[in-house]
Amino acid sequence: MNLILFIFIVLLGFTSYYFGRKKAYTIQSTNKRLTALPQFYGYYLAIWCAIPAFIIFSLWAIFEPTIVKLLILSDYSNQGYLDDELNLIYEKTKALSRGQFTGEITPFIEASAEKYLSLRSIAQSSKAVIVLSIIIASVAYAYKKISSNSRTREPVEKFLKAVLFTASLAAILTTVGIVFSLIFQTIDFFKVIPLFDFVFGTHWYPAKAFVRDSSEALDPTMYSDTFGAVPIFAGTFFIAFIAMCVAIPIGLMSGIYLAEYASVKVRQYAKPLIEILAGIPTVVYGFFAALTVGPFLKEIGNSMGLDVSAESALAAGGVMGIMIIPFISSLSDDVITSVPQSLRDGSYAMGATKSETIKKVIFPAALPGIVGSILLGVSRAIGETMIVVMASGLAANLTLNPLESTSTITAQIVVILIGDQAFGDPKTQAAFALGMSLFLVTLCLNIVALRVVKKYREKYE
Amino acid sequence: MKKNGVKMIKINSKNVDVFYGKKQALFNINLDIEENQVTALIGPSGCGKSTFLRCLNRMNDVIDICRVKGQIIINDFDINDKSCDVVRLREKIGMVFQKPNPFPKTIYENISYGPTIHGMAQSKNEMDEIVETSLKKAALWEEVKDRLHEPGTGLSGGQQQRLCIARAISVKPEVILMDEPCSALDPIATAQIEELIDELKKDHTIIIVTHSMAQAARVSQNTGFFHLGELIEHGSTDKIFKNPENKKTQDYITGRFG
Repeated sequence: MNLILFIFIVLLGFTSYYFGRKKAYTIQSTNKRLTALPQFYGYYLAIWCAIPAFIIFSLWAIFEPTIVKLLILSDYSNQGYLDDELNLIYEKTKALSRGQFTGEITPFIEASAEKYLSLRSIAQSSKAVIVLSIIIASVAYAYKKISSNSRTREPVEKFLKAVLFTASLAAILTTVGIVFSLIFQTIDFFKVIPLFDFVFGTHWYPAKAFVRDSSEALDPTMYSDTFGAVPIFAGTFFIAFIAMCVAIPIGLMSGIYLAEYASVKVRQYAKPLIEILAGIPTVVYGFFAALTVGPFLKEIGNSMGLDVSAESALAAGGVMGIMIIPFISSLSDDVITSVPQSLRDGSYAMGATKSETIKKVIFPAALPGIVGSILLGVSRAIGETMIVVMASGLAANLTLNPLESTSTITAQIVVILIGDQAFGDPKTQAAFALGMSLFLVTLCLNIVALRVVKKYREKYE
Repeated sequence: MKKNGVKMIKINSKNVDVFYGKKQALFNINLDIEENQVTALIGPSGCGKSTFLRCLNRMNDVIDICRVKGQIIINDFDINDKSCDVVRLREKIGMVFQKPNPFPKTIYENISYGPTIHGMAQSKNEMDEIVETSLKKAALWEEVKDRLHEPGTGLSGGQQQRLCIARAISVKPEVILMDEPCSALDPIATAQIEELIDELKKDHTIIIVTHSMAQAARVSQNTGFFHLGELIEHGSTDKIFKNPENKKTQDYITGRFG
């Protein structure tokens, strides 16, 4: 029903566009000069169709359920029901009208359900009638109003601006919403666990919190020495460090090769091939690390008499580094390519060789941009989840031995939130606290990266 | 400058052809450049004068699709020969570009770049001296001596171009190629550069590509006129401007085309 109505309104919109344009052509044919191109007249009428439709649909969506509920429950008033009971009756009515009610059906509720259905259908048809008549009226009004000297271009441009603004607002509001949902849970978490214990505690063992029966009263003392985040922060930065040790040299060198040495043809094929690496889902990297690289390292280590865990920081970090290579190589390639040719010419003309030119002129000139790309790579490494969960284990060891297993912030969030959780439980809230700290770290990195990149842009001007 | 009454030829080009891919850009250029003189190359846009200039220090090597044929003999040596060391060649033949292109480094580092590459200074003092003399020769020393360690990109356009000239002369080249060195500059900066060119010809052979006929007449002793990839006429600037042999040269100089 709603869909048909919607399609009908869209068709009406097209029709009003057509009529608006036609009227403009008619005016034009009487040798009058229009204030805007004919299609603006069309768009103008279409907007007169779209805006009333949007307003009525929104109002209906807000008020219809409330009004229907009031009308249904008016039958039960003065019978001494409590608010909660009334709500229950209404829910039962709705369920029955959808045929999803499984309990005992009383005649009262059956009657209400029938009333509910009839009210809904009245509401639907009246909505259709009201929407269509208002739209037609508004379009007709606008159609009569437009003339050779009416202003249609400005309202159309304003409307477009408003639509674009709304779209960008949606993205921003989502970010703000995420931050707020993190903030409140994080604050709740720190009400139970002191901030000091979280930031400086060296023992992370959230499984201890599983033991608690949620019906028992909350006893903060039982969580002491449970949520000390140092091991997982250390693990996060350690694995990110290993990843960058792999990604920075390989990524940079391949970026320099692509930008300076590769012929047009090689570059044409090599660059997309490297970028394919960025398109591999991280879960695939994850099992590559866990099932291929991890055991392989263990075997090599054992043959050399080293004790290597099958789930090692080295395996996870190494594979993560491979995943980040395309970001660094592609970005640094772009940055190096954008160093003006005139600088290369200047250097070659002084008798510098290619490698001297790269080392002494191009690399320093591109350095801020390269640093920016590295920082973006780091924030990816810190935020990476799947590889760590699969390849580096879940036990939060405080270690700097790359052959042992360790865990990261993201992996711990996964551990905490897998399966059933109780909201309002410190264990669940710990995930929010971790998410918040992760968010802050990557935010800082991104701000620094953007600053650096911006500085780079001003460089040659 | 004359030695025993005979003009010394610094660069001698024979049958030079240049191709960009399949398109031929220069046709059979034969041009002699006199030592310690300023030679101006003039002609309408796209006539090949810059291409010819870039042949003289093998800068066309940088362009993948570019091929150069023929002989260019400098100091009895064909620079297009396989045995030619491009690094040494470019040490001998400096270049100044159309748009000032100082490296994004300090003024000092801009000048010391060439001497460092070619290992010309053994000590810091020696390098300081090279930087100072180069800047003095480029008439920039007085303006920048107190801020040698500030970025070269912070200078004005005219100063940047003089910095580039100082950079080029820091390695004591025998020849300096200038590709429209004043086209991005205002008249005052242009006048300073022109004055400088006149000064520099004492120690260097200078070849300048220019769009400005007046500039060619002011600064050069010899002029070559290029048109559609061919060298139409060359000779002393006086003769080219006052009494050209070729009709095309006359038309171009009097502003009838180009």
